[in-house]
Amino acid sequence: FRLRVLSPPGPPKTAKQGRPGARRAAVDQDEEEQPLQAVLVADSFNRRFFPVTKDQPRALLPLANVAMIDYTLEFLTSTGVQETFVFCCWMSDKIKDHLAKSKWCRSNSSNTVHFITSDTYRSLGDVLRDVDAKALLRSDFILVYGDVVSSIDTPAKTGEEHLCDDYDLQRVFAGTSDEFEIRHDLLDCHISICSPQVAELFTDNFDYQTRNDFVRGILVNEEILGNQIHLHVAKDGYGARVSNLFMYDAVSSDMIRRWIYPITPESNFVDEEGKSCTHSRHNVYRGTGVSLGHGSQMEENVLIGQDTSIGAKGHISNSVIGANCIIGDNVILDRAYIWNNVHIADNVAIRQSVVCDGVEVKTGVILKEQCVLAFNAVVGPDVTLPEGTVVSLHHPDEEEEEQDEFLSDHAEAGHNKATKKDKANNSKELGTEGQGYIWKSSSLDHTKEDELAQSLWGLVLNPDPESDSESEASEGSDQPGSRTISPELDDIKVFQTEVQGTLQRGLEENIGCDNLVLEINSLKYAYNITLKEVMQILTRVVLEYPFFQEGADLSTSQYNTLLLPLLKGWAPVFKNYVKRAQDHLNCLASIEEFFLEHEAHWGALVLMSAYNLDILEEDGIMRWFSQEGTTDKSKLLRKNQGLLKFIQWLEEAEEYSEGD
Amino acid sequence: MELQAVLMAAGGGSRMMELTYNTHKPLLPVGNKPLIWYPLNLLERVGFEEVIIITTKDVQKMLTPDRLKLDGKMKLDVVCIQLEGEMGTADALRHVQQKIKTDVLVLSCDLITDVALHEVVDLFRAHNASMAMLMSKLHEFTETVPGQKGKKKAGEQRDFVGVDATGQRLLFMANEADLEDGLTIRKSIMCKHPSMRIRTGLLDAHLYCLKRCVVDFLVENKNISSIRGELIPYLVRKQFSKSVNLPNNKDEVEMSQKMEGQTNLGSCKDEELLRLTQERSCWNDHHGDMSEAYHGGKVRCYVHIMEDGVCYRVNTLAAYIEANRMAPKLIEDPPIHPSAVISECTQVGADSIIGASCQISDKTSIKRSTVGASSTVREKVKITNSILMNGVTVEEGCNIQGSVICSNAVIGRNADIKYCLVGSSQRIEPDGECLTVTQNAVSV
Repeated sequence: FRLRVLSPPGPPKTAKQGRPGARRAAVDQDEEEQPLQAVLVADSFNRRFFPVTKDQPRALLPLANVAMIDYTLEFLTSTGVQETFVFCCWMSDKIKDHLAKSKWCRSNSSNTVHFITSDTYRSLGDVLRDVDAKALLRSDFILVYGDVVSSIDTPAKTGEEHLCDDYDLQRVFAGTSDEFEIRHDLLDCHISICSPQVAELFTDNFDYQTRNDFVRGILVNEEILGNQIHLHVAKDGYGARVSNLFMYDAVSSDMIRRWIYPITPESNFVDEEGKSCTHSRHNVYRGTGVSLGHGSQMEENVLIGQDTSIGAKGHISNSVIGANCIIGDNVILDRAYIWNNVHIADNVAIRQSVVCDGVEVKTGVILKEQCVLAFNAVVGPDVTLPEGTVVSLHHPDEEEEEQDEFLSDHAEAGHNKATKKDKANNSKELGTEGQGYIWKSSSLDHTKEDELAQSLWGLVLNPDPESDSESEASEGSDQPGSRTISPELDDIKVFQTEVQGTLQRGLEENIGCDNLVLEINSLKYAYNITLKEVMQILTRVVLEYPFFQEGADLSTSQYNTLLLPLLKGWAPVFKNYVKRAQDHLNCLASIEEFFLEHEAHWGALVLMSAYNLDILEEDGIMRWFSQEGTTDKSKLLRKNQGLLKFIQWLEEAEEYSEGD
Repeated sequence: MELQAVLMAAGGGSRMMELTYNTHKPLLPVGNKPLIWYPLNLLERVGFEEVIIITTKDVQKMLTPDRLKLDGKMKLDVVCIQLEGEMGTADALRHVQQKIKTDVLVLSCDLITDVALHEVVDLFRAHNASMAMLMSKLHEFTETVPGQKGKKKAGEQRDFVGVDATGQRLLFMANEADLEDGLTIRKSIMCKHPSMRIRTGLLDAHLYCLKRCVVDFLVENKNISSIRGELIPYLVRKQFSKSVNLPNNKDEVEMSQKMEGQTNLGSCKDEELLRLTQERSCWNDHHGDMSEAYHGGKVRCYVHIMEDGVCYRVNTLAAYIEANRMAPKLIEDPPIHPSAVISECTQVGADSIIGASCQISDKTSIKRSTVGASSTVREKVKITNSILMNGVTVEEGCNIQGSVICSNAVIGRNADIKYCLVGSSQRIEPDGECLTVTQNAVSV
């Protein structure tokens, strides 16, 4: 299991040594005098825990029967933070109530907690801008989210400014560093130590929303502004942010397995009544008043909250069960996270799922992996929920409605109808007594794709093995000799297809020849093509065009009838490129080359029409004709009847004009 | 015999035509020894008794044991190839494949290094690698190079070399020139080796240990013509490709068959035992997941990176000058050849080398310089930081600084030569001055 081994903070990151600057030293001195401050953002500003967080903010979700924000505050306090500003947005009252009752707000708490609530926060950026506006902070501060679980000792002492991202790569590229490291084994535990400037920077850059924006901004502009981001890779200690259910699962099981020592379930650090429990072998923890039925087995890593009763012959492993739950007989729980006041009837099997407060699971229900039953849902009896089912009392559509609060009433009416319909449908899936709606994570809304794509259980569990192997196969099949093709040839080919595409679009969309010329010119520069090549390619493309339109087997007459209008339409394009005498010869050479390949279609008609359209001039044609063909074929080509006639005609015309 | 050595000495030295115009690259004197002596000496030191030298006809004629000044135990098997037709190093290796019975150590004739060669070979053995190579920190050439004004252009393409946390497994290789937009690293590599260090500023010493089956692979894939340019990058990439092959991809199937089933090649017993050992052993090359050692990969590339020590590839004029400066430290012979005649009132620095049968006259000072065999230096001459090849005559009162004087050149009286390259058999007229750096070689 990777997570606990790799708990140091920081996402993939390149090694960048801290250059302790003068400013840094000055701040260190200040630190001793000033109380250490922290900003705790008790809102995630995303919906990864939706729909669970609809009823309770993420910071208050229980992890091993303790609200997550308590872990964060415990961590801050043990690091020596004396003043914490808790910023709440979503359900701020609940958070306030919770904290008011907790030990953090008692008079003897070493960590003074201040609340700042506002409904207008939409992102971390808003919070920090508010921090700056209110001028709350005097010195360096710790920035954490309300869902960070950590036992890392005094990160403040590392004195580094904070963490970062793989954007560094860009910088190292630009820089002169000889060596850099790419890490893929680090976990960002979202604990940042920021200087007061960070808040100012957020104010200055009002478009920064998240920490990633900030990090990217700093890294890009670092050299100009002299701001630095440092990274401390903790070698030991534990730190993680519960950012999705996958992390929730992982952190919970680490907690029970005592990897986060000294924070353990039985330590009751929150100092609340009813949270204490005893620790016995195989990491089984029991709160007070737990009753266990006859023959029920608690294999290992089980935490059971206060006053919960469990029926007979159950089999429980790797699970957390909250307080005041009633669990029936013959129940199998594995990696199940049962919160408080849950009723589970007999013969239920739950695997790697989350069951929130007040849920009722009727008899015979089977929850496959990665199910979520949100608050007060009812499931059963005798249904099997497939993998990844999410059930909530809230209708999935409510979410949208909430977002557009300005929607008129009639929309709501429509929505109500839909609700009823869905309810009827759901009864099959949720059982006859079931209550709630099934949230389909697969029905991705385009607008929220980003968030829902990593919804709830996160992406980690479902890596797409196929796409990976595909890319590998394609890369692997990289033939050793494949690079030998000279890029120049390639360019010409690409250019040819581009020209063809341009002309085709020109035909379809009726684009004027001037614009076509413009496009071809820009292509010419893009692929670094000489003027001569442009003409060759253009000629070729045009002559090939009938084949391209109608397929390769055309009779000569069909070909000519198709080609002539094309020539006529594109005559201005040609004229733009065929100007000097040499151009004429080149153009004719290309025509010749083309017809050497397609002898059957050869006829003077092309030349004639080109002449009539003023693309080609008489002199050019005559000179071309007088050039003896180098090969037999081209000699043969010149002996074509039609051509001879045409030449003759030209000669006569010339004489005639001279005589005139 | 575990490894056969193959020495590539057919290159024309196209990046230092000034020097190779008259002298073939393998025979260029460095510290009064032909360049090819250094790799041969390297092999000799670690006990190679035979070496296959691939070179051209012209060079072959000159490759007498006498010239090479080897101790004579080495058996040289010189193979000639035609220079025309642009043969690459891989082509050359293919050319001698019949002589190759075991794994090979391929090295280039322009390598001057004091590496402990066993470090590379040990890597190769320890991991049963397909390929092990040598790299070194790139040296900055600080000295002024004749004919190059100002600093060297910074536009050189960097090589990016990715190694794992131990710094030995070669995971990734790319040249800046091949990168279009940024460095792309495949996820599968990062998953297997989560901590990758990308290094630049490394010099590829062009010394490779290759498995026998890689040579076989080369024989079958005639389109690979260069070892450094094509084969090595291919092997490095191949390490992380899926072993499942597409049926139409003949290359890969063959490759993997070669890699997996070397059984046909007579080493059947060894392979079988090796597989068994790997199965039974609890040793693993990585932590963090439960997959078998090397993640089951059959192709493995390793690199030994010299953090200190001497390692030069003499393929440019700058490297040539630098190598000459380092040479006295590498050669155990006395710096002044016994047959050289040096008059008493002469200063010869300890960091200078004087070749056989030289005549150095009075009141001359020679510092940090190399004077080739049969050269004559007359009175009141000052030579600093310079290289004089064989048979050079320097008349009275000359001042030579930072220059390269090729064979049989004659420097007239009172010439003042700074940072110049004088072509072979050139005469510099008495009292002439070649002051400027741009005053460059005049070859015959």
